[in-house]
This record gives sequence, structure tokens and C-alpha cells, in this order.
Amino acid sequence: MSDELAIDSGALIFATLADVYLSSGMYDEAISILKDGLSRNPNYALAKVILGRAYYLKGDVGEAVKILEEVYAQAKDSENTVLHLGHCYRKLGDNERAIQFYETVLKINSGNKEAAQELQSLKAGPAASVVEAESKEAESAPMAKPVEVPAAEKAEVEKPVEVPAAEKAEVEKPVEVLAAEKAEVEEPVEALAVGIPSSASAVDTLFAPAESTAVFPLERLNEPMLKLLNLKTVKGALICSRDGLPIMNYYPKITNLEELCAFIAAIHNESQNALHFIEEGDIDRFIIEKSNETICVIPVGESLLTVITKPEAKPGLIFVYARKIIDDIREILG
Amino acid sequence: MKLIELTKIPKVYGAGIATPDGFVVESQFVVGHNAEKSAAMAAQIMKRIRNSLDAVESTVIIYTTKSVFLLKETQDGIYYIVCQKDANLGLVKIKVDKIK
Repeated sequence: MSDELAIDSGALIFATLADVYLSSGMYDEAISILKDGLSRNPNYALAKVILGRAYYLKGDVGEAVKILEEVYAQAKDSENTVLHLGHCYRKLGDNERAIQFYETVLKINSGNKEAAQELQSLKAGPAASVVEAESKEAESAPMAKPVEVPAAEKAEVEKPVEVPAAEKAEVEKPVEVLAAEKAEVEEPVEALAVGIPSSASAVDTLFAPAESTAVFPLERLNEPMLKLLNLKTVKGALICSRDGLPIMNYYPKITNLEELCAFIAAIHNESQNALHFIEEGDIDRFIIEKSNETICVIPVGESLLTVITKPEAKPGLIFVYARKIIDDIREILG
Repeated sequence: MKLIELTKIPKVYGAGIATPDGFVVESQFVVGHNAEKSAAMAAQIMKRIRNSLDAVESTVIIYTTKSVFLLKETQDGIYYIVCQKDANLGLVKIKVDKIK
């Protein structure tokens, strides 16, 4: 994917790549490509949210707050932004503001489990703070030392499932806190520095697919795409960049995805050049009818949506369904 | 001769037949449309599709911001028809299939 980014520096795929870097613990790399991408697309709010999260995970909460507040000022109903701001303020110890943000999340989406959980643990507050202070004093030496966790172990820990107390104790051994108190005692800062989730808090499971309500950007396409794929005559669909690199594949039977993407892009680009030569403007869409299938291609921003159908398909119907997907693609990928 | 059938269809700017290397065999276009340029474009696009997708005698419909192109590869050559965006492409396709 990084090759893809290098080739198509104008595309908005950098946010997706940054998300992958973050989930791999490569915070600096994620920050670097997000900054670079945002310099070209300064209004790409999702990238800013991911950048805020990257700083948060890196431990630079001040910078994270600065970025997220900027996004929040423009989109006050952005669930992810508000949630992450809650996490940041909680980490900064400003529980009052954290509570406000978590409550706002629940106003936007009352089903947000993460916010509900955080809110619950914060409201159980004063006792927790006392225990936390005592614990910090007692455990200051081991807490100050970041815990080195192998990647495999981290991955295991980061699973958003309920970890039994005994297991938790094993994972968080260096902190040496009683399992029962851990929920209140644990200071997430050190854990975050190495990407270990705190047992009581879901802070570190930001963007974790199973528990977080955050959705991988392109997953939003699944629903409209499914409607399109449910048409009897549709064999599959794919999204690629204009330079022929695959972005999403909804054609499971395909064996040569990269090849097909490259060919589609080549046909599109060559046709576009030819049309420019005869001054006929830009391609709106095109259909290639082969003996065994029909290929409908629709350029959407920097991407190409390709729908492969049986020869008997009705292209008009395909375009009607595709139009709904196009808006989403344009919003996500630009 | 055959092309008159196509150009009779409302909102069709013109039609032509090109060789695979882009030369015009026959064409009938309204004033203001360059048949040679369109033939070259048609040949280039069909060549790319043939090479990339192994598609023999395929049909391509390209919607541009200004007009619509229908290209069809046959044994006679490449038919290329240029229409307004709101032309009846279904009818154009039927006519092409009849005359090829």
C-alpha cells in the first residue's frame, strides 16, 4: 500500500494506510504520512481525526487535543472526534470535560458502548482517584518504566474481548496491582506508550473493529455495494485508483485483481487522452461489452468504480445503483 | 451507404467505419465533427481493449461530458458513432447490429 501512496500522492488513501500503521504500532510513520497527506488535502476531516488519535497513542495528548478540537469546531456531531476528545481529556486528568464529551457521544449515538463504559468508570470517580494516587506513589518505580511487549503479545492483549482477571494480571505483571483494584488504579499513560490497553478503559481500543463503533472508512461502502451485488446479473465490483492499484474488491471469484485493475485504468486513461485530443471533454462513464461479460466503469474522483456483469445485464439499472455508491466513494476517497 | 441508416437516428452527429489502425474507410458526419480524429480515437481505444481484455469484437460505449461514443468492432472494421448525450443509444446499437 505504501507503494500505492508513493505513486498516487493525490489520493486520499493515506488515511487508510495511516490507520494500518497505527494498528501496527507504527505511530511515527502514521503521523508522517498523515501530515504529508493533510498538506495536500487540508480539509480531510477523517485524516485529522486519525492524526489526533496517532498523537494520542504516541503519548502527545496535548497535540492530539489541539487537532481534535480543530475538527470538533467544524463538525460537532462527529462521533469519533468527540469520543477521542473524551479519551484525551480523561488522560489529561480533566475528568469533567471527559465526562462532557462522553455524554455528547451518547447523545449522538446512544448505543456507543465505549463512551458508556468510559462514562460509567469516570462516574465511579472519586474513590478511583484516591486509589489511583495511592497506587501511583506505591508503584511509581515500575509504572515509570515503559513495558516492552512483543508484537504478538500486544496483538493478543488488544483483542477487544473480556480478559479474565488472572490473564490480565499476567499481561500487566510489571505494574503489580491487585486485579480487583486494577480498573480504578491503572494510569493509562504508560500503557499507551507501548500500546497496551488498560483493563478498565477502552481508551486504547480506539478504532478496534469489534468493540469500537468507529468504522473503517471504506466499510461504509459495504451496504450500498451489497445492494448492487444482489442484482442477479452482477458478477462483482471493484474499486481501483486511476493508476490501476486496487482499493476494494467485491469480486471474490477474481483471480487476477491487480491485472484487471491495471487494465481498466489503462483503458480509462488511454480513452481519456484520446478524447482530450479530439476535445470531447472528460469521461463520464464507459461500458465495455464483451462476449462473456460487460464491464461498466465509472470514474469517481481519483478512483474508478468497476462493475462486472453478465452480458444480459441492463447497464441502465447498474448505473442507477452505482450512483448511490459513487457519492460515498467520493466522500471517502475524494 | 450503410451509415445513412445510423445518421438518420435523431441526435446522432455522425457515424463512420475505421480500420484497426485508425484510417477512415467511410464516414458521414454533420459539419463541425472531424471524422478522422474520431476514427483515430476509436482505433486507439479498441486496440487497447483488445490487448488488455482479450476482447474480440467488443462494443464500447463512452459517455463524455459533451457526447456519447459507441464503438463496435466488426469484421468490416470499427464502427464509431457519435451522438448527443440524450440520444437513443439502444436504437443506435440495434441499427449497428443490423447493418454490420
